[in-house]
Amino acid sequence: MPKKKDAEPYLPLTPAMFHIMLALADGEKHGYAILKEVARRTDGKVQLSAGTLYGNLARLEGSGMILESDRRPEVGLDDERRRYYGLTEFGREVAVAEAHRMEEALEQAHAKKLFRKPGLA
Amino acid sequence: MPNEKRSLSERFFQMLVRVFPFDFQTNYAGEMAGVFREQHREAEERGGFSGLVKLWGETIAGVFRTAPREHWEILKQDCAYAFRMMRKNPGFTAIAILTLTLGIGANTAIFSVVRAVLLSPLPYQQGQQLIFIRQQAQKMGMDDMGFSVSEINDYREQNHTLSNLVEYHGMAFTLFGHGDPERVNTGVVSWNYFDMFGIRPIFGRTFLPADDQIGAPAVLILGYEYWKNNFHGDPDIVGKTFEMNDKVHTVVGVLPSIPQYPDENDVYMPTSACPFRSSQRMIEGRDHRMMEVFARTKPRVSLAEAGADLSTIAGRLQAEYPKSYPPEAGYGATPSSLRDELIHGSRPTLVVLLAAAGFVLLIACANVANLTLSRMARRERELAVRTALGAGRSRLLRQLLTESFILAFIGGAAGLLLAYDSLGLLVDFAARLTPRAREIHVDTEVLLFTLAAAVGVSIIFGTLSAVSARGNLSSGLKEGSAGAGPGRQRSLVRNVLIVAQIAFSFILLIGAGLMLQSLYRLLQVNPGFVPQRVLAMRLTFNWSKNKTGEQLIAEANKLLLRAKGEPDVLSAAISSTYPLEPELLTYGQGTTNFQIEGHPLGAGEAPPTVNVASASPEYFKTLGIPLLRGRAFEDTDDQKGLQVVIINDAMRRRFWPNDNPIGQRISPNDGKDWLTIVGVVGDVRELGLNRTPAIEVYSPVAQNSDARTLLVRTIVDPLILATRLRQAVHDVDPQIAITHVMSVEEARRQSLTAQRLTATLLGLFAGLALLIAIAGIGGIMALSVSQRVREIGIRMALGARPSAILRMIVGQGLMLAVLGVGIGFAGALAITRLMKSLLFEVTPTDPATFIGVALLLTSAALVATFVPARRAASIDPNVALRCE
Repeated sequence: MPKKKDAEPYLPLTPAMFHIMLALADGEKHGYAILKEVARRTDGKVQLSAGTLYGNLARLEGSGMILESDRRPEVGLDDERRRYYGLTEFGREVAVAEAHRMEEALEQAHAKKLFRKPGLA
Repeated sequence: MPNEKRSLSERFFQMLVRVFPFDFQTNYAGEMAGVFREQHREAEERGGFSGLVKLWGETIAGVFRTAPREHWEILKQDCAYAFRMMRKNPGFTAIAILTLTLGIGANTAIFSVVRAVLLSPLPYQQGQQLIFIRQQAQKMGMDDMGFSVSEINDYREQNHTLSNLVEYHGMAFTLFGHGDPERVNTGVVSWNYFDMFGIRPIFGRTFLPADDQIGAPAVLILGYEYWKNNFHGDPDIVGKTFEMNDKVHTVVGVLPSIPQYPDENDVYMPTSACPFRSSQRMIEGRDHRMMEVFARTKPRVSLAEAGADLSTIAGRLQAEYPKSYPPEAGYGATPSSLRDELIHGSRPTLVVLLAAAGFVLLIACANVANLTLSRMARRERELAVRTALGAGRSRLLRQLLTESFILAFIGGAAGLLLAYDSLGLLVDFAARLTPRAREIHVDTEVLLFTLAAAVGVSIIFGTLSAVSARGNLSSGLKEGSAGAGPGRQRSLVRNVLIVAQIAFSFILLIGAGLMLQSLYRLLQVNPGFVPQRVLAMRLTFNWSKNKTGEQLIAEANKLLLRAKGEPDVLSAAISSTYPLEPELLTYGQGTTNFQIEGHPLGAGEAPPTVNVASASPEYFKTLGIPLLRGRAFEDTDDQKGLQVVIINDAMRRRFWPNDNPIGQRISPNDGKDWLTIVGVVGDVRELGLNRTPAIEVYSPVAQNSDARTLLVRTIVDPLILATRLRQAVHDVDPQIAITHVMSVEEARRQSLTAQRLTATLLGLFAGLALLIAIAGIGGIMALSVSQRVREIGIRMALGARPSAILRMIVGQGLMLAVLGVGIGFAGALAITRLMKSLLFEVTPTDPATFIGVALLLTSAALVATFVPARRAASIDPNVALRCE
């Protein structure tokens, strides 16, 4: 039986990687669609360039966290030049592990009253 | 227009994407272009020009952030893979690294010498402006007359092209106050000598104008090596005092480690402190020449311009002082660059060694390339599988090049260590050729050279293996491909490499062979005397004590009596020098012009220049120089007796070929004094075993008081008597400094050191080259046999006998060897001409050497091929045909 891959060594993910994986969490997308979703979801705060996007896609593909999808959308919407990417099971596990890691960090920040209002002791 | 603009942007973007690795481009470039097109359209619609500018900024930054990471990832993977492959093939890895270590190491070592000696600027301020000036009387055969004080003043005052002019001459004085009386080589210089060179002392100061006044307190500056070796680098040496020439000298400074020219001196003093230089006779006598002159040209003045200026002054002096500069002498003054003076003697040898090391590196490269290609044959299947699984060709080629570079880098690093370790030996060797030897060291430039060598080497053999792999990837997957025989293209490349290795080895072996022959002939040369069982010692009397010639002669006679009285001593002599004495070879011999009675000079003819030496009565007996006519010197040949000389046979042949010279007379001073010839001795190779004996005149020590060397012929090994004789000398005069105690046989051996070292180095390189080439040919033939097992099995099954197989394999190997020898032969004929100046009684195209080396190399190749050929001949066809 093949050894199950551990998500731990891949953490922490870079912000760009996490955003790309979030974009793929709800379905396969091509590169430009990933770019657009990240920009929309972050209100334009995170703008990925083509180089950054595909550098990270290459890394994610190499680690087995994403895969080029065989499935295509409807004929009318399909652009043959575009390749669609989808999150693998392993990729989802890594993204979840990253989300948990950030959640723990947020909880600790709250416990330490990091978000106190100014002026209070 | 918008379409055009967009396509321009796209084109520029596609150019930008090229910074990514090739495989990355193959996978993503198309998509990236599509994404960028969309972004470009949106940015233009929303933000106009400023939007586009922002997009381009982010895009370019993104590319240059991401691309290096991609390259780095691939490099890490390639390195990890390369190390795995190296561990899997330890034999190949070891041989490749060793070969490259030796090749790159040899080149780094020689390059560090060549760079320091031939290429780097002088370690003096504005070194290119420094010149050495010679006065010559060319028609009298005097290439370097030296300068008198009057002449130095004239040139200093009358020139227009020099910013500074200083004098130098070398003496040997005795230093007291530091253990035993010590002979110190002393440089006597103008006060601003070191200032002109821009040399700053490491302690204290250089001389001041006040130091060079007659009657000034005597001061000394110590040379770096002398200070390091004799005073253990004492930082408080400045201010210490020593006695020399009956005066107390104070140390005022210590020099840094710099090349010293023309002599290696222990100490320096200003001209006023030298009892000879500061005498009235020297100061006033225009013809009393002893000094050498260095100068600095003014900025932007060329050597030719300085030469013209000096010639003008020389012409003026000739007109003003015709007696000192007779027209028939051909008097003149010429400058040469100091750099040339320091390096010209070493250039031929170093260039030959650099070429030899270069050949060794080429051979090493060819060998590693061959080894790599052989390994490629075994990796065909692995590479083909990886290609089938999606690895791009360029990725594979990049990986092969990385493997090559890692091998070359490790070989280079080890080679650098090897070079660093051998630095001491190299400096010793180079010191015999040039004073610049002390500048040799391994530094950044040498490191860069090693890196460049490693990169160059890896590109050569990496490219070969990569190109070979590219041509054979598809065949690797076919069944039975390993045993079916080597790819034709790869076989051809390997054979070409073998032939190249053999050719280069041939050239190297010829060079080494010629040098070894030359050395052998030098060792066979009859020196004209018997060097065995003779002890020599250089004696430096206390000049201030033995002021008159009579005092010196009396002391010399006491010494001789004392020495002859020692047990095991057969004879003893005192002289000015002895043949092949190290100092004689360095500084040359004194010469004088003689007039021969009965041989008047023709119009415009210059008097002959003759080497002169002084000798006590038993000199010729002690050295075993044959007396051919007349008699040796006797005790009655003293100041009061007839002034006599003995000449050598070369002088007799020149002036009295058919007459008896005994009783003839010669004059050293235009007929003022006449010296009678009383004997003729055999010719002696005084100045080097490779130098034809010059015409020589000997005069008795008792008549010229030039006594500097004690020679003793012994029954036993001469060095056994060294301590006793040293004591005997000090019993007579404890103030005599004794140096250079050695057997004359050792002096003869030392006179050949440069030739011996050059021959040894070349021999080493050639031996290495031969080893690599023969191992190469043997390895390739063995590989060829292992890859042709099936073919050989088929041949034998069809009736071929083992002897025929043997002949076939040996024949193939021999053909490569013969081809290599043939090409090497032609190359050597062209190249060895450049070695002419290094050879003695051997022509660069010496037939015996060429034939000998051809036979050696061919025989060695035959032996290397025989082993695998025998293995091929003993293949069992049944086993071979079943083998895959």
